Amino acid sequence: MLYLELLIQGLIHGSMYAVIAVGLTLVYGLLRILHVAHAGLFTLGGYLGLLITNATGSLALGMLASAVIVGVAGMLMYRLCYQPILDRPPYVALIASIGLFVAMEEIFRLVFGPYGLTYKNPPLQSQISFLGIQLRAAELGMVIAAVVLLGALSYLSQNTRTGIAWRATVDDPEIAKSFGIDTIKVRYLNFFIGSGLAAVAGIFVSLLSNLVEPTMGGVPAYKALAIIVLGGLGNVKGTLIASLLLGVIEAFGTIYIGSILDRDAIAFAFLILVLMIRPQGLFTGR
Amino acid sequence: MGIYEISLATVVGINIILALGLNMITGFCGQISLGHAAFYGVGAYTCALLAKAGTPLPLAIAAGMISAGAVGLVVGLASLRVRHDFLAITTMGVGFLFLGIVRQQEILGGELGISGIPSSGMSKIAYLVLVFFLVALFTAFSLWIKRSWMGFAFDAVADDEDTARVMSVDVGAYKLVAFAMGTAMAGVAGGLYTYFARFLMPDDFGFIASISVLSMVAVGGIGSVFGVIVATIILTLMPEFFRFISDYKLLVYGTLLFAVMRFAPEGLAGLARSLIDRIRPEVSAEKEVA
Amino acid sequence: MGVILDIRNVTVRFGGVVALDNVSFQVNKGEFLCLIGPNGAGKTTMMRAVTGVVKPQSAQVLLAGRDISSLPIHKRARLGLALTHQIVRPFRSMTVLDNVALTAGHRLIGRIFRSMVSLDRSTERRQARKYLRLVGIEDVSQKSVVGQPLGVTKRLEVARALALEPKVLLLDEPLAGLNSVEAARLADTVADINREGLTTVVMIEHNLGEVMRVSQRLVVLDNGRKIADGSPADVMRNRTVRAAYVGKEYQNAAA
Repeated sequence: MLYLELLIQGLIHGSMYAVIAVGLTLVYGLLRILHVAHAGLFTLGGYLGLLITNATGSLALGMLASAVIVGVAGMLMYRLCYQPILDRPPYVALIASIGLFVAMEEIFRLVFGPYGLTYKNPPLQSQISFLGIQLRAAELGMVIAAVVLLGALSYLSQNTRTGIAWRATVDDPEIAKSFGIDTIKVRYLNFFIGSGLAAVAGIFVSLLSNLVEPTMGGVPAYKALAIIVLGGLGNVKGTLIASLLLGVIEAFGTIYIGSILDRDAIAFAFLILVLMIRPQGLFTGR
Repeated sequence: MGIYEISLATVVGINIILALGLNMITGFCGQISLGHAAFYGVGAYTCALLAKAGTPLPLAIAAGMISAGAVGLVVGLASLRVRHDFLAITTMGVGFLFLGIVRQQEILGGELGISGIPSSGMSKIAYLVLVFFLVALFTAFSLWIKRSWMGFAFDAVADDEDTARVMSVDVGAYKLVAFAMGTAMAGVAGGLYTYFARFLMPDDFGFIASISVLSMVAVGGIGSVFGVIVATIILTLMPEFFRFISDYKLLVYGTLLFAVMRFAPEGLAGLARSLIDRIRPEVSAEKEVA
Repeated sequence: MGVILDIRNVTVRFGGVVALDNVSFQVNKGEFLCLIGPNGAGKTTMMRAVTGVVKPQSAQVLLAGRDISSLPIHKRARLGLALTHQIVRPFRSMTVLDNVALTAGHRLIGRIFRSMVSLDRSTERRQARKYLRLVGIEDVSQKSVVGQPLGVTKRLEVARALALEPKVLLLDEPLAGLNSVEAARLADTVADINREGLTTVVMIEHNLGEVMRVSQRLVVLDNGRKIADGSPADVMRNRTVRAAYVGKEYQNAAA
């Protein structure tokens, strides 16, 4: 019973990681940038979702509005922060992104206070029984959202003109351009989708603990970075699998090696271990 | 000079040594390390444990240097295996791993850290002199390396490591040396910090610390010895001089990091260079401005 | 005239594609050999396999009688195998002079401790000037690499490789992108360098006019296989070779 429960907990966390990490790997696949500030958008999504839900009483509205706003914020971030420095050596974008993330965290702290905000009427808190295990509706919702959103993403990328254009651009921007694909639009779309997903993830995480606080983006951000490396930078399917795998490994790991390593370090221990055995990650790019 | 100023100067000195170490890894050799604070921590914790066991100061600090350098060598070896895009994340992982281990081990003080570290036995001023002596030493060392043929090889590795290899440069070996030297310097900084603070907490050596050091190197101008020193002084003193800033310290760091990378990626050194170029355009294209 | 570079049974596969299929040939000391063949024949892959940039499925490469097949790239360079790239890759952070001085100092760089204690670059800079003079770009020594035209950077690639004092100089399409005057001049420069006994030359080139003019021997690849090996006149008369080139032209025209 314990194993099943750990497995399910692991998959739940994993699906949360997946929704965050996919946005990150999308950006890397396209621009070769480690978009650390993605975590700031995750936190922003959490805050906006909570504020709008509290103001309107509707979680659905909160989620939708937050995803859209954060999606746009992501596009702005690309245009103002990344696009001008794309031709610089890669450490420039990386450090700029880190600076952006740190600044965002601090702004959240200064504007909303260091102790965070809570939901007036926390939605999705009811207990649901699943395979004999007690889960909260929010946890189940997280998994369902992940499946629906990522599934839709996969479907759209294979079956719509935009989706195919996007995949072509990721594979080879020069050839895509010669086919007349507007690679700039693809980049905006990339950031919109990735950031929107991050916002949704942020909202679900805040539902689980009924708390939005400034540093909530930190740990998922770092783990997401480890995940996209494991999954093969730019490889969406690989990222998905790596996310679920990590969730499960953390769940079991905390129980069994929690005395040696704390939970957050497990992700990186796993990453380093894998990289030593397979330096290209679990899956190669694309 | 009051006690407060002496303490401040000591911290500045320690930070300079730490930043010069990272400058060697990231600046000279082009390897992005997001986990530099972990080596700072290795040096500090090693020194702390030895100091509490009664080891004399020079030996304890030397042990900190060697242990940090040794761990750095291991990490360097491991990092040779991974693709260089992965290096940043791997070093970040090393940082978290270090923290994760230290937090769980009682011998290392766990979450609460190590306290009751004995005093250095020197007066505050004497300690400051020691720190600044080491600052001068490592500055000279950095400048020497930069101008030496090792620095020349580093330039090639940082510029285009694949081509450097084809041009007979043993890229792997040079990266390792950069890592070992840079992390050993972090270890020295750690040892010096141990006797200064006499109290270590794991969070002092976390990701935020790594980012802070990185910002000192980036703002100074990656690779520029004097740029990094100036940037370290400014960034360390800034929250002190503008007291109202201290609550905003991280915000300023983050914004500064972003702004420098976005608008002046070559940092203070780059700005200084373009200023000099404008005033004296006939200065030759010697790329050896420190 | 001994064999300076002995290439045996090189097979390279990328995924499912066989880029090189059991290709062997030898290069004699002091020779000027050109590796030619239609696009996609595997010429660049061959060079990459010989220098170690690409790991072949199987290969044996002997340099001056020594088996270098399992040595890392930088060791092969140190033993005397120099390579220039088809798409030039100068060190953009350095001046033209320093690009060459770096390789001129290959003995100093070869020993970590030596490199740490050696400060003086003047000897190597002097030598670098010599090489730059040899390829005719000494006048831009002090300039940054950034912004130099292709005519300069192509020559810089050659000078930089020469500074390694190599036993064999591998040139990957050194004339690509140059106009006919520049191409002829660079080809002559390389031929002079070879004639003066500085180094054996193996050159990949598409510019058949220059190839015929300067090379002493040709090896022809097509679709990953060696289809001819001999003097330029003999090879060009070879029916299989003509078919390979003409065939590709028909394919390109039809497309």
